[in-house]
Amino acid sequence: MDVDVPPIPASYDAFRERLKAFIAAHKPTLHWKPRAGLRVPDDPEDVAALRKWVRSLHDAGFSVPVYGLGTRDPFEARIINEELGRTRIPSILGNPLVGGAIAEFGTEQQRDTYLPAIPTGAHIWTQLFSEPNAGSDLSSLTTRARLDGDRYVVNGQKVWSTWAQFADYGYLLARTGTEAGPAGITAFILDMRSPGVTARPLREMTGTTDFNEVFLDEVEIPADNVLGPVGGGWRVASRSLTQERGGLGGGGGDPIRDLVDLARQRMIGGRPAIDDSAVRQDIARLAARHRIQRYLGHSVATKAASGTITAWDAPVTKIWFSELNLELAEYALALQGPRGTLVEGEEWACDDGRWQDAFLYARAFTIAGGTNEIMRNLIGERGLGLPRQERPS
Amino acid sequence: MNFAYGEDQELLRSTTRRFLESTHPIDTVRIRLETPDTLDRPTWSEGTKLGWTAMLVAEEHGGGSVTDQPLVDMAALAEELGRQLYPGPVLPTNVVADAIGRAGSEDQRHEHLGPIARGESVATWCLSGDGTTDVGAVDVRLTPVGTGRVRLDGVARFVHDAHVCDLLLVTAIGDAGLSLVIVPADTSGVSSRLLRTIDLTRRFAEVRFDGVEVATAMIVGETGRAGSLVERALQIATVLQSAEAVGAAEHLLERTVQYTKDRLQFGRAIGGFQSVKHRLADLLVQLEAARAAARYAALAVADDRPDRDEAVAVAGSFVRDACAYLAGEALQIHGGIGFTWDHDVHLFVRRAKADQALYGEPSWHRERLTSIMEEREVRI
Repeated sequence: MDVDVPPIPASYDAFRERLKAFIAAHKPTLHWKPRAGLRVPDDPEDVAALRKWVRSLHDAGFSVPVYGLGTRDPFEARIINEELGRTRIPSILGNPLVGGAIAEFGTEQQRDTYLPAIPTGAHIWTQLFSEPNAGSDLSSLTTRARLDGDRYVVNGQKVWSTWAQFADYGYLLARTGTEAGPAGITAFILDMRSPGVTARPLREMTGTTDFNEVFLDEVEIPADNVLGPVGGGWRVASRSLTQERGGLGGGGGDPIRDLVDLARQRMIGGRPAIDDSAVRQDIARLAARHRIQRYLGHSVATKAASGTITAWDAPVTKIWFSELNLELAEYALALQGPRGTLVEGEEWACDDGRWQDAFLYARAFTIAGGTNEIMRNLIGERGLGLPRQERPS
Repeated sequence: MNFAYGEDQELLRSTTRRFLESTHPIDTVRIRLETPDTLDRPTWSEGTKLGWTAMLVAEEHGGGSVTDQPLVDMAALAEELGRQLYPGPVLPTNVVADAIGRAGSEDQRHEHLGPIARGESVATWCLSGDGTTDVGAVDVRLTPVGTGRVRLDGVARFVHDAHVCDLLLVTAIGDAGLSLVIVPADTSGVSSRLLRTIDLTRRFAEVRFDGVEVATAMIVGETGRAGSLVERALQIATVLQSAEAVGAAEHLLERTVQYTKDRLQFGRAIGGFQSVKHRLADLLVQLEAARAAARYAALAVADDRPDRDEAVAVAGSFVRDACAYLAGEALQIHGGIGFTWDHDVHLFVRRAKADQALYGEPSWHRERLTSIMEEREVRI
């Protein structure tokens, strides 16, 4: 048994140095403040600057490897992820999840057209899955695509689409058949500049606009843009959702060290909170769960390498990560006491309101990508083989 | 990266699983519930042939592991022993074998390790007077008497199967500090009394030492310098106890899931009700987390990884609490049948409750874990 990842050989130092120099020379200055989570700038100028940045990374051979694109050298890939991660500036634009779907289900022409444009920043993608009345019950979606000659005509409304306000393409699920439920759903590649597409940024509880509502009014899509088989969209989407859930977690830094620092600064009864035994017990509970998140990561990586991933691995990981992420932020706020109410822009706030934003945004992780309640259904039904939820007829 | 048991370790597990399922299933544990002697020597003897007491003993002394990570091999076995709520003192015997192998004199290793590995000598560990890990709780006093002899006076409690063991490894406190002393159980002045505990599957004893005299040569390592040895013993105990707890929890969850598929109420299997299904899903999450923590701790101690102390503190903080929670929820999901004496679920609940209290409480591990996060020095 081991969890060892081979150390990066010294011969890669030159590569890292080149990348660092590149970052120093080309890193864009943004009006927007990058925050924790999958966040989107609100200024089109920033988006233009980011496109330029991603393009320059790609041209210099430093783009983040996703879905078989970019460097195939695992050491270079690690160095790129480490160094770009440190910048806290997005180096993939849009929701790249479609890349996996196109790689697996796309035609040769779709693969050639769309895959290379993701790592260059030329194509920003958004996902058009959820609807106002189809959230957890995604397969009840009602956006309809009607075949009309060699094109489909689409009507409906989508929501929770990250990056849609700046996206070039949408990964759309719409109903082509008359059957209810998963059977009649087809996946499409939608040109977001088509007439009839309106993306309206949705302001969330964080105060930022990371998601959108998207209205589709008599939108025409060429029949060639069907992704996967007609009527097979549910399978395409399920694979993407599994990838999405499995991809959560990790991230740089050690939030436990940050909690310890907060507890050193906070005074309770004339002494630092870190000397209070109740605080010490609380921090340890979170620390244990945080380290276990890493160990679960080792376990998932091992299964992925041996092809033994199960349907419940991603849901287990998603629940573990998202609930811990929320509780870490809640505890950080509690440690700050009254100061914990202060947010970004207030000079007396801790770390410019980082924890307050993390606390508010944490619900994106417990809800998005399938709510944790849906995750529990998946674990119960697919993992434990319990009877399926009955659908009222 | 391969964070899973290897083929040899899986084989080790399946052999022990088949053996215990056929010769010592939980029904057998149940038959012995109301007898004081839960150590069934023939089963012990057969078990030692499967390696239960040999993994942490070097080959030259008659032991041997299946991989170059003996403690991981042992953790794999411990999961199976936990699965069947095996009553015998496999955990403390391994702790004793490890301590003697690590710090014992040539004579001590030669005399004790072979018999332990072969199952002829059953050993257990006397930690402290109240079962806690506080240094101040070590009650057995060590005093020199004449040349080459020491005397032990005091009491140790929560000593697993002390009343039927052959060999005791006694944690004692003297003017120079902590010592570990090998004491044959039949030495004059040693007496034991069974404690009535909540755990019906295992027996724990109070052991009294009244003017027990042994040769200085029975001290393992240097007199008064056993602090790090005790620390190591606690790490081994935490690893094995965590693995046992995970094995038991895994078995109990399987049985509980099956029960909710079979049990019909309101015309449906109760496992189809979301209130039950989500609870079971949460238990699987807890079990997966506990398993990852237990296995990582085994790996970290086996390989002496830089984060060894952290990994042990994580396992000690989390695993037994999670498994005890799982057992309680499993009982609740069983409903009325789970409240009966004849159903096994209370045996799991009781054992999990005892696990939480012994060989270092979770709160003690949490205190240490925070100290590690602060990068403070952690000492026993």
